[in-house]
Amino acid sequence: MAETGALALQGIRVLDFTWIHAGPSATRILSDQGAQVIKVESNQALAVVGGPSSNTARGLGQRHNWNAGKRSISLNMKTDAGKNLARRLVAVSDVVAENFSGRVMPSWGLDYEGVRKIKPDIIMLSMSGFGRSGPWKDRVSYGQTLQAWSGFTNLTGFPDTRPSGPASAYSDAVGGMTGAQAVLLALIQRANTGLGQWIDVSQMEAMSTLLGPLALELSANKSNKTGVQRTGNRLSHGGGALHGAYRCQGNERWVAITVFTDEEWGSFVNAIGSPAWASEDRFATVDSREEHADDLDTLVESWTLNQSAEAAMQLLQTAGVAAGVVQTGEDMANNDPQLRERGTFQQVPDAAGVLRTIERAPYKLSRTPGSVTRGAPEFGADQDFVLSEILGLSDEELAEAAIAGAFD
Amino acid sequence: MDLSGDLGVYCGKLLADVGADVIKVEHPGGDAMRRTGPFVADAAPMENSLHWRHYNTNKRSITLNIETSAGTDLLGKLAATADVVLESFQPGYLSAKGLGYDHLSEANTGLVYASLTPFGQTGPYRDYKASDLVGFAMGGYMYVTGWPDTPPNKLWGLQAYQTTSNRAFIGILIALFHRLATGEGQYVDVSMQEAVATTTEHVNTTYNYTGESAIRCGFRHGGQFIATWQCKDGYVSITTNTAKAWDDLRAWMERDGMAGDLMDEQYNDRFILRGEHGAHIEELVEAWTLTHTRAEITEWGQANHHPWGPVTTADELLGMEQHWERGFYLVPPGEEELVYPGSPYKMSENGWRLNSLAPGIGQHNHQIFCEELGLSAEDLQALISDGVV
Repeated sequence: MAETGALALQGIRVLDFTWIHAGPSATRILSDQGAQVIKVESNQALAVVGGPSSNTARGLGQRHNWNAGKRSISLNMKTDAGKNLARRLVAVSDVVAENFSGRVMPSWGLDYEGVRKIKPDIIMLSMSGFGRSGPWKDRVSYGQTLQAWSGFTNLTGFPDTRPSGPASAYSDAVGGMTGAQAVLLALIQRANTGLGQWIDVSQMEAMSTLLGPLALELSANKSNKTGVQRTGNRLSHGGGALHGAYRCQGNERWVAITVFTDEEWGSFVNAIGSPAWASEDRFATVDSREEHADDLDTLVESWTLNQSAEAAMQLLQTAGVAAGVVQTGEDMANNDPQLRERGTFQQVPDAAGVLRTIERAPYKLSRTPGSVTRGAPEFGADQDFVLSEILGLSDEELAEAAIAGAFD
Repeated sequence: MDLSGDLGVYCGKLLADVGADVIKVEHPGGDAMRRTGPFVADAAPMENSLHWRHYNTNKRSITLNIETSAGTDLLGKLAATADVVLESFQPGYLSAKGLGYDHLSEANTGLVYASLTPFGQTGPYRDYKASDLVGFAMGGYMYVTGWPDTPPNKLWGLQAYQTTSNRAFIGILIALFHRLATGEGQYVDVSMQEAVATTTEHVNTTYNYTGESAIRCGFRHGGQFIATWQCKDGYVSITTNTAKAWDDLRAWMERDGMAGDLMDEQYNDRFILRGEHGAHIEELVEAWTLTHTRAEITEWGQANHHPWGPVTTADELLGMEQHWERGFYLVPPGEEELVYPGSPYKMSENGWRLNSLAPGIGQHNHQIFCEELGLSAEDLQALISDGVV
């Protein structure tokens, strides 16, 4: 038996050309489990989030969060010498990952056809906004573009306000999870069959999947018009009243509360001291509470306004009602005993030994929990390790590559 | 074995859609999700839920009352042959019935057993309850979503549940890969709160690296010049991710005679929307976007390699040619009327497929209990009479 703490992906090498959120977050998932992830960066490339000049505080945070534990080398892929070194790295890798526009990898001879000639059982992960086929394959996107295009933005918000959409790049996080899932599936399949494969992740498709049964709903009952609209904090498919965020004591403090069944309603009413309004007929059943949900929300808020969000959560949870503080970044980092106990955040040293806070994988595996021991690498920090130790280049070969501009 | 409720049902689908033989264990009378609307008109109650149909593709169904000792006994026998057990009961519930990881892995050492719960198996909140909304709130995503002058907002649909399932699927795949090499199974403990908290992109890094909590910014992304503008026929998403994109946008407004003073040097920084001029710029940009359609802005932006796109309404979704062209939208045989979303990943050797539609209640009781577990037809009939199956 392997000892607890073994790394499930030890021995897997990932050549990582990805940039911006979705790509690096996919490969960090692999890195956490022991895969050796070599980020290929370039002085010539646009400096973006996750790239060499992420020097704003937030950019620094994202660089460490998405690239912790990885190695970095710098190659000038505009030179033959740079491309040649990249090909030699493909030959000793298990996975190649990229999320460029569709023109880039073929221009280096490193599209799937190219890399499988170098390493027949290679697994290649290509992530893009719309996928690498179809009429929209050359369209470009950011996370917010995909959220808008896929329908999420229009459906997120209150019915009487304009759409807000997801506040952050949900589609990038989704793309990262989806890309990592596909690589893991491909690694399992390769272990069974010996075959590599090409993975073409369309982040648009990954997002559309998460609209759940909406496509079914739009096509059901021979009607392509449903008038499906934003529902604020209510469920689009009904059920649940109360079901929302309620203002509490203090500045911008809120508690989220949901009640579905009569039993939960009874517990809720008891917990808040059985106010007179709670026994009104219009709140007596699941259906009638839903019908009068707006009034109910106002009355519930008259109670929460005199509570701290934390006290309201604890009181209701003790009564068995689902309730939780609408937590801020500060709440999660400093005030949440659950996240602290679970070790959701971790500190790792950067190259200068400064401790940097990163997120930990949100699944706890009893035997192969994974491990991160250092922050993101400095740009090109692992040149010697990768070229000398992994590729075994002699000093002479390194000098030749340098003269040929491979590292410019 | 998919014993899960709403929190894990999507994880079961992810496994089933790539070829795992997923057995959905329903309570006699049917899973609660079967009562979740919207419904398809021409099917019987409990068979007409579109949530049920979507989240249970490619699964088989048995019914089992695990509140009875005969039920727990049968479940134990089935789990002895399982590769993965997926469950979302409150912590300790299955252990109390002798069906916890420690019990089942004793004989089945390769078992991967995944528990999906609101807050995980440990910690002071382990027994707290949470719905999708509460998970979204406690994970820090809700506070930043919406407008500064509205309450915090959820995302459309059941994103906290689905994120938990997406994260759990990753954990299960890692465990299965490890099992291929060693034969060892393991326990996978997934918390919805943590799954959401690590999917927020900027919430944790903003606080941890600046000391300020991120706030709600409405149509803007984290205060950057990524925003959704009203136009002639709806809304359009314009991202000025590069200096050229911002310059191109200003130049187009200028050509239309609507740039106001935006061509001034003081507006050269594309991040200017964050600053004191934000309201002034917003007013000018939206006065201009209102004179164009989504398609005009999208096509011109895309032609110039800028990530601009329409805010698609729900009623437009089934018209997206890219989804049809790539085979993402599927109309399965036997379900001519319904459009299903397809694979989240296209893989050249992977068999993602829609082989069978969501099962009827206990549709595979005979197949699984008799043909596979070896009960006689009389045994099964007795279990049915006793309310166990």
